[in-house]
Amino acid sequence: MKPSLRLTLITIFGIATILISPMLGLDAQVSADIQQKIMSEIRIPRVLFAFVAGSGLALCGMVFQAMFHNPLATPFTLGVASGASLGAAIYVSLGLSFSFLGINGTSFAAFSGALLAISIVYSISRFRQGFSTETLLLTGVAISFFFSSLILFTQYISNVTDSFRILRWLMGELSIIGYRDLMQLLPFVTFCTAVILWLGRELNLLMAGDDIAISRGVAVKQIRYILFFTTSLCVGAIVALCGPIGFIGMMVPHICRLIIGTDHRWLTPATLMFGGGFLVVCDTISRLIIAPAEIPVGVITTLLGGPFFLWLLIRSRSRS
Amino acid sequence: MTPLIYSQNLSLSIGTKKLIENISFSVNAGDYLCILGPNGAGKSSLLKALMGILPVANGKLHINNQSITTFSQKQLAQIISYVPQVSGRQLPFTVLEFVKMGRYPFHSALSDWQPADQQAVDKAFEITNTRQFSDRLMQTLSGGECQRVMIAAALCQQSPVLLLDEPTSFLDPHHQVEVHRLIRTLNQQHNITIIEVSHDINHASQHSKQVLALKDGQALWQGDAADFLDGKRLYTLYDQDFVFLDHPQTGAKIALPDEHL
Repeated sequence: MKPSLRLTLITIFGIATILISPMLGLDAQVSADIQQKIMSEIRIPRVLFAFVAGSGLALCGMVFQAMFHNPLATPFTLGVASGASLGAAIYVSLGLSFSFLGINGTSFAAFSGALLAISIVYSISRFRQGFSTETLLLTGVAISFFFSSLILFTQYISNVTDSFRILRWLMGELSIIGYRDLMQLLPFVTFCTAVILWLGRELNLLMAGDDIAISRGVAVKQIRYILFFTTSLCVGAIVALCGPIGFIGMMVPHICRLIIGTDHRWLTPATLMFGGGFLVVCDTISRLIIAPAEIPVGVITTLLGGPFFLWLLIRSRSRS
Repeated sequence: MTPLIYSQNLSLSIGTKKLIENISFSVNAGDYLCILGPNGAGKSSLLKALMGILPVANGKLHINNQSITTFSQKQLAQIISYVPQVSGRQLPFTVLEFVKMGRYPFHSALSDWQPADQQAVDKAFEITNTRQFSDRLMQTLSGGECQRVMIAAALCQQSPVLLLDEPTSFLDPHHQVEVHRLIRTLNQQHNITIIEVSHDINHASQHSKQVLALKDGQALWQGDAADFLDGKRLYTLYDQDFVFLDHPQTGAKIALPDEHL
């Protein structure tokens, strides 16, 4: 099968999830008017938001995996997401409230946290002689733990309301999403997607290793900084709005690579579509599984992601 | 004639660790320079500096009479290409995809694949005799095949200078000869300037034109390859005695490590 055909199928999957998901679990007892209202004001923005957030998370995961030539390297395993979470948690617990250019302060706080985390992780792993992906991953895990405990600390010293808000949000949820949130997120993910599409050839070469990429003419350092900045922006915006929804960035790009190959000219759009569709599916499950109650979507993705992580680990071990 | 590449008191370092100290050397267009020396002498670091992978810490490194720092990475890639040491990293590409990436320095994000690109790829396949592998995955190639494909990818850059880091270290004798022959063809028939890091002193003295011997980050000797083999010099370089004999076919001088206890 040609990659173009595969991409078409993935795109159909992505669009199908957007079309089908809002219809599932509609209460037949309520009047058509109310059904209409539920659809247009709750379901549709929620599904669209899930799609955009899923695409963003998957794309950022794809970029990290390519930059560090390791399927386990994602914004989550490298502590970027916990950095963003910490930023947002501090913002909430300090009771701050501001917005700039129509963008909520939480996003800025989360973005700063994300950027701080990646700077720490990257400079520590560079500081040691002979930069290795293993060092990077271990540093990421350590920073992740450290930031998680800082979040717990922040939560502990907050009042009960804020503390509960932080807790619910940390589980990653999409239940209170409206059009306003969608508009908050869309510019970031669009910008990030544009940059990643633009740098497709560079990402291909980065997968071949830094030395080869440089010798082909890629300004690896600059490209890496651009990508760090862009992905931090994207992850920060997503985490600020719906909490750290884990493992999408690890599972989706890896599955897409198996389907469509490693060329980023195909892989980027495939990841975009599949990531969006994947989060919509997870969100639909989280909405339906114990209906009328909901479980946070982050719980679903993590339940899927944990075993997937282990499978990747075992697979890469048995290969080498 | 001004040399194509020359360095003056060049020093390289990573953090506080000095890799190369005060090296001055020059390479003319069409040269075939072998860089020799014991492990850790700084041979690979010197290649990496020429490729812009390692920054120049001190001194001058000029290419085409211009400091290397004034080139963008893409400009540099149009002058110099590089075949790195075998890293064991799996390259998740087909041979064709990988070779085509060699055209990167001639493209921007929006430019299309041009006839000139196709010609460069075709020529690279032809010279290295690797076209038959084009649909195979990189990780399925044997050592000798992989090295030829790596050279093909570098040739796509159509650069006048080619750097090779121990291109034959992991190959059996037949494939060593094959890759050496390919490198000589590139130098003699295609007029590509070659800079090769090697451990094979006999190959260097017989096949290359110039030798640069490095030890502990310093230049011990540079001169004509034919003059390189000398007992005293080899002893200083490798801390090892050598015996010499003549090649029964070519009559060339050959050095063998003295294994007498």
